[in-house]
Formats: sequence, structure tokens, C-alpha cells
Amino acid sequence: MNAPVGKPIAAAKLQHHVIYVSDLKRSKDFYMKLFDLQFSALNHPDSSAAMRLSNQEMHFFSFGFYHHDLCLVKHHKLKMDNNSMLHFTLVARDRDAFDGIRTRAAAMGIPLRDGRLIASAKTSPRQRAFCLQDPDRHWIEIIEEQHP
Amino acid sequence: MTAAFYVPPNVLPPLLQKFAPLLKRKWFREVVLMPPTISRRRFSNKTEDYGVFEPSQIASIGQLSIYVQDIERSRRWYENLGGLHHSRTCEPEPHPFKPGWSIRCCYMSAADHDECLVLVEERDPDGKVTVPSGLSFFHTAFEVEGNRLEDSLAFAARAKAAGFRPNYGPVRHNGEPPLGDGETGGNVASYYYDPDYNNVEFCAAMDTIENYRARYGDTKGSARA
Repeated sequence: MNAPVGKPIAAAKLQHHVIYVSDLKRSKDFYMKLFDLQFSALNHPDSSAAMRLSNQEMHFFSFGFYHHDLCLVKHHKLKMDNNSMLHFTLVARDRDAFDGIRTRAAAMGIPLRDGRLIASAKTSPRQRAFCLQDPDRHWIEIIEEQHP
Repeated sequence: MTAAFYVPPNVLPPLLQKFAPLLKRKWFREVVLMPPTISRRRFSNKTEDYGVFEPSQIASIGQLSIYVQDIERSRRWYENLGGLHHSRTCEPEPHPFKPGWSIRCCYMSAADHDECLVLVEERDPDGKVTVPSGLSFFHTAFEVEGNRLEDSLAFAARAKAAGFRPNYGPVRHNGEPPLGDGETGGNVASYYYDPDYNNVEFCAAMDTIENYRARYGDTKGSARA
């Protein structure tokens, strides 16, 4: 769909998110094993001028349509923390995916927290949600895709 | 509310922002990558050398909540630059995982994405608003309406006219002149720091599974460095 004529172009949707991690291999294993994310590219100081200049290494992951939806970045000089982001939400593609992620997480020994993370977040009677933390203690909320 | 002045250590200094457009020049990228080239450690970062695309368990990113020092200041920034609209601001509520702390949430929506962004003021047990560190995420990205190259460029042009200066961009994350910066993904992007130095990308035309092979065929990534 083209942008509306005569109106300033605005953001349509949140598309991808790039988080700092402390151990790329550990996080890559976590996200691929739990969500089946597809590794789609690697920007490394030995492959990317931007990464070389910024002392970073970025691993790209696709949900299966876009080139990248979630990226993991390791800054080789700075220590990441959890003090600028409260959480992010991943939408499971269907009921089976939601149940499958929950089963996998339990099998991986990951503590689960039922419901939405933020009390004031919208909820609907049919929508299920649970939360967990990744190896760097980033909070991830999993919700079920709502099909009309 | 008076916000504390804090610049996270990962923020690109203004002087380096001026030189960042050089990444769109292949000769400059080659100079930067000369050490790994000479030492034969250099490798390709292009997707056809890695990509195996299959469906994942995830459909999309549903929501992101970020810490801000001043909801009103941040709300205006996301409204004025990104065209996001305010859905609601809630009364303070207990922090979801820090006993004794509280949060106040402002829910922002994009044109096709309800309540995709939550601006969060976090208060410690003494009621003091915390200062975001800038070190939890590198950037977050919104797709702009239209999702074409020209839409992303038009977004950047309007932002510039409105007085918003990008810290990087507009660029295209591939190796194709004149916009390509040698990176990967194909998205045409501009990056801006919000009032708390959260780095926010506005982009369009990212490669998809369907168009990736159509764009590049069987050309190896190393041929497009």
C-alpha cells in the first residue's frame, strides 16, 4: 500500500528490534532453539566497516518474511545492562506456536511468568500471554496471534 | 519535570556523525576494512552466504517498552517525528519485577500497530525517576507508511525540514550506490536519537524472503562487499 497522498509519512508499525547481549553464541543458541529464528546475516568488524568503526558485532535473525526482525549485538568495549528497556513482546504465529514455545521453555528450564508483564497492558479474554527472561535478563513477553 | 543530562557512552559524537556518510563510499569502506583484508580475516556479511529462510514460531514484534525520563517530552518527540499517536497514559503502577519501585506508562500507536511503543517512567522507592542507560538495545526500527524507498527518503526529508537531524542516514543497507553503506538487509533507513538517546530507525523497503533471490540471484555476497 502506498503512503497516503498529501499527508506526512508516519511510522506504520514496529518492524525490528536490535538488543545488546553479552555472549553472542549463548544468545544465538537461546533464540534459535526457543523460537526457531532464522540466522540471516552476520556483521562483524572483519566484514563490516560500520561494525569495525563502532566496535560491535551484529547477528541478524528473521521471523521468516523480512530479512531481519530481531538482531543481537555485542559491543566489544561497553557492558550492556537492562536499564533502558523494560521488555519487548514477540507475537507467536498461532496457537500451536504459542504452546510449543511454552513447552520448549519449560524443557529448557526457563522460569515462566503467566500473563502480560505490565499490569496496564491491554488484555483480551481470548489472548494468552506469558513472560520469560533471556540469558541477559531481557524480559520477553510472548502473546498469541489473534486471528479474526 | 527537569530531566537529568546524560549521554550514554554508545552515542555517536556529533563530529563522527558528520563523517558517517562516508560509509556510502566504497573506497572508504575498503580503507576501514584494510586490516582484515591484508590479514585475510575478512569475510562476507551478505545474506546469501548464510540465509536459510524457513518460518519461525514468531509472527512479529508486538510491543516494546523503553525507559524515558519525561513522558511528555518523549511523547511529543515520537508524535512530531514519527507521527505516532497517543493512545493513553496510565496512573502509576507497581513495577512488574522491582519490589517497591513504580512505573508510569504512556502507550503510543503507529498507523497500523496499536500500542506498539510504551514510554515508561521508572521511579525508585524514593520516587526519583531513573535515567535510562542506553545500553539495553542498540536501536529499534519502525517501518514507514508506504514501505518504498521513496517513502523512507520522503520521511527523512520531512524530518529534516522539521528540524530533526539524523545521527545516520538516509542510507540503504546494501552495497548499491549512491545510498548503499555496504551493510545488509536492503532497508532504506534514517536513525535519530530520541530525547533520552534511544536510537530509533525509520525505514522502508527491507528485503524479504520473496525478493531477496530476485534482487541478487546467485551472486555471492563477497562480490558485493
